[in-house]
Amino acid sequence: MSELAITLLDACNYALILLLVALGLAIIFGLMNVINLAHGEFLMLGGYVLLAVKMAGGSFWAGLVLAPVVVGVVGLVVEELVIRRIYSRVVDTILATWGISLLIKQLIVIGFGPGSYAVEAPFSTAVPILGTSYPSYRLFIMAVSICCVTATFLFFFKTRTGLAARGVIANRTMAACLGVNTRRLDRLTFAFGAGLAGLAGAVISPLISLDPQMGLGFLVPAFLAILVGGLGTITGPVAGASGVGLADNLTATFLSPVWAQLVVFVLAIIVIRLAPSGLLARKRRKT
Amino acid sequence: MGNLSRRRFLSATMYSAGGVLAAAKFTAPAFAASQPIKIGAVLPFSGGLELFGNQAKLGLDLAAQEINASGGILGRPVEVIYEDNKTDPKTSVERATSLIRRDGVLALTGPITSNARDAMAPTLERMKTPLLYATNYEGGACDRYIFGFNTVPNQELEKLIPALKENAGDSFYMFGADYVWPQKMFETASGLVEGLGGSVAGIEFTPWGVKDFAPVIRKIKDSGAKVLLFALPGADGITFIKQAEDLGLLDEVTIGFLGFAETYLGAFGEGKGQNMWVTVPFAASLDTPDAQDFVAKIQKSAGAETPISHYVMTHYNSLKAVQAALEKAGTVDKEALVDGLEGLTIETPTGPLTIGAADHHVTMNMYLAKTEGQELKVVDALGSIAPNALCS
Repeated sequence: MSELAITLLDACNYALILLLVALGLAIIFGLMNVINLAHGEFLMLGGYVLLAVKMAGGSFWAGLVLAPVVVGVVGLVVEELVIRRIYSRVVDTILATWGISLLIKQLIVIGFGPGSYAVEAPFSTAVPILGTSYPSYRLFIMAVSICCVTATFLFFFKTRTGLAARGVIANRTMAACLGVNTRRLDRLTFAFGAGLAGLAGAVISPLISLDPQMGLGFLVPAFLAILVGGLGTITGPVAGASGVGLADNLTATFLSPVWAQLVVFVLAIIVIRLAPSGLLARKRRKT
Repeated sequence: MGNLSRRRFLSATMYSAGGVLAAAKFTAPAFAASQPIKIGAVLPFSGGLELFGNQAKLGLDLAAQEINASGGILGRPVEVIYEDNKTDPKTSVERATSLIRRDGVLALTGPITSNARDAMAPTLERMKTPLLYATNYEGGACDRYIFGFNTVPNQELEKLIPALKENAGDSFYMFGADYVWPQKMFETASGLVEGLGGSVAGIEFTPWGVKDFAPVIRKIKDSGAKVLLFALPGADGITFIKQAEDLGLLDEVTIGFLGFAETYLGAFGEGKGQNMWVTVPFAASLDTPDAQDFVAKIQKSAGAETPISHYVMTHYNSLKAVQAALEKAGTVDKEALVDGLEGLTIETPTGPLTIGAADHHVTMNMYLAKTEGQELKVVDALGSIAPNALCS
């Protein structure tokens, strides 16, 4: 029983971490159609903001709150300087955001050096759950992930701003005609997505090596999760991250990590072959 | 020897007097003789393994500085030309080619990764240029033009495994990255473990870039192994150790961390990553006058905060060996260098080092060390261990 509980907790933990990472990407890539290769670096920046706050003597919690704010502002700047000029050119976003990712990485190398840093979790005691004991910080991350998904969902579907944002994404010209300030919403949405990446980076930093290269290891499965789950919805990434996360983790448990990667990619190819726009894709209006 | 020291004295004076003006006073042959001997260093200064590239550079810089301060090699100064291979095999080949063709280097040193070295090997052979490879690796790079100045599997494992068996238990689990170095290491390790009457509880590999090791950590826990032989370098390894600590694995197993060096210290967090064992050709905590003198010299140029690992010393040794080999040969050319290096013995900060005449790998002193507090503490001096270079 406890064996099964541990396996499930581990698998859910990874799926939820992946979901937290994929969420910001789902907004920027899934909704705004910007292939954001700098997402991993936004994530990494979040971790470094937390690190900087702790180095300056601040608390973990201050860092955790500040990380999404700072990375959101970075997102705002990036949107204003680069992204807004290429909304209509999807392929060019790859090149532009790749350049941004290199820039951010090198700035961090210059500022903090190429080595790894350790960020301590504010608590790490094991707590009893489902007949076994599990590190409390891992449970905390799972809770953060669930809260973020819920909050994002509510923001986009229950607020006027969210409605307007979805309107701009669905049909920019029409939204503008109806008096929606499309520039303001583009900025807001991009910054929101970047901020989520920053939060994800900060919250998972105690579990991993904090270094300038850390983004890539998350970027690939996060993109995969969104492609499998489907573009243009918030529920898509939930399905995708669960699928990718669980498949990866369970295969690693019962076979090996090498097989896990293989199985995940084969499954992803099959899914994309059978449902080219993803499991839960929004039907796009032809324009 | 009187002549030599006079020549050394002259050129040393010449250098302190400041290059070109002084050099111009000499006749043409003397001028040619004072042309620097160029050594190309193909190292990662970006792309992920910057730490190792920087460590190597510290050693090479010190060696070049010492050689030049003592009058150079056969009266000629040595100049190390650094090229960034971006941690990439293809770039390594391009940089190596340009160093050989355009800069006319006598020999190359670097790179760090095996795939970069293997990619460079055909070029080196074709251009008959020696490579002084100073990173610990899986063995098997045997060629007239390749010399290994760091360890091969048996040197790192021969004494480590008995020590782990004695201190932790006789059931070994092996986990590493899915590429040639961990695979060869575990091959050698399995033989050693079985030879000692221990058991191998499991061998597992992982692709690069995995961020969640919980499944593997559970497996290792469930196997009941007492020792974990661990060969996952870089950031992935740090992530694994952090999660292993978090999930309580480190309370149950003792880790033999293959490829560990001072560069990892501090990456696990205060009081974390303790009691991890390794055998290394050098550790900054090594308490001998020569080793401490070496540490002091590096710290003088790099600052007291910089970690000093065996990579600093092995790269330092590689350049010092070039000096000794050329002085033994008496001429400066590539073939003379290769011949001079074969069977050469030099003094290093950890004692004598001998380059095998046939296998081109080094016999040197090794140390058993473990992480304790914020340092890699030397537990035992193991004496000199000869390499089994695994040449086929």
